[in-house]
Amino acid sequence: MNAIHAIRHSLRASLALGLAATFSLPALAHHGWSWTEDGLFELRGTITELYIGNPHATLDVDVEGEIWRVELAPPSRTVAAGFAEDTASPGDEVIAIGNRSLDPNERRMKAVRIIINETAYDVYPGRVPTD
Amino acid sequence: MEFLEVIEQLAPVRALRMSFYAYPLVNAAHILLIGVLLTSVILMDLRILGLFPSQDRRPFLRLMRGLALTAFCGAAASGLSLFAVRAGEYAFNPAFRLKMLLILLAGLNLLALRLWNSDAAGFPGAGPAARASALLSILLWMGVLICGRFIGFL
Repeated sequence: MNAIHAIRHSLRASLALGLAATFSLPALAHHGWSWTEDGLFELRGTITELYIGNPHATLDVDVEGEIWRVELAPPSRTVAAGFAEDTASPGDEVIAIGNRSLDPNERRMKAVRIIINETAYDVYPGRVPTD
Repeated sequence: MEFLEVIEQLAPVRALRMSFYAYPLVNAAHILLIGVLLTSVILMDLRILGLFPSQDRRPFLRLMRGLALTAFCGAAASGLSLFAVRAGEYAFNPAFRLKMLLILLAGLNLLALRLWNSDAAGFPGAGPAARASALLSILLWMGVLICGRFIGFL
């Protein structure tokens, strides 16, 4: 009886843990914008790595010795914005405009506009500020 | 490291990396197969634990085992495709690593059940060791599922 009770108890505990993990996901999700601040943020630095591909493109940017992860759009959308694998290379200066992570300790942002050599690439045109 | 780069540069992997339709479809297939795998494994384990006594034990376990093994192969193939797209990144993702470890442990758990707690025909017994193994299996596969979901968020 004790064993069955223990099994039931651990099943219930693991179910609760699973549910907690499931419902905490949206807050962590890097899809969408729920994990970012509302206001726009600007990051200037040097590209150390770029990735154009599924599930979404990313840039790694060195900002005064700290590496930031800049998330772009899915590849089709990124390439449609004019930003492809040969658009930039490590060592290029970049300005990324977008929304940074709600977690101030996380060096991560989701870009709506990337500027390289004074050319702007709007990966989320609908979110780019009208200026 | 070089091995991971070689995987990333394979022609079908490069195509999948830039695809509009294929990547989400492979992703959907992976989710479907994980669903079948988890469902069949958990039903099988619950049957070993003594639930659904109205279901004839052997045909039920045989059906669930067949489903689980087929779904695992498909999930592994689709998962490997998704992994290959950015192998150098995922290989160092803590959630991915923990997921692979849990799959390995689930495999060892299955092996132990098969070797020490099954009859000559390969059907698991109903004793405490087989039940413990079934319970552990449920927990491990739930862990695999949750770790998989976290890969994209680390």
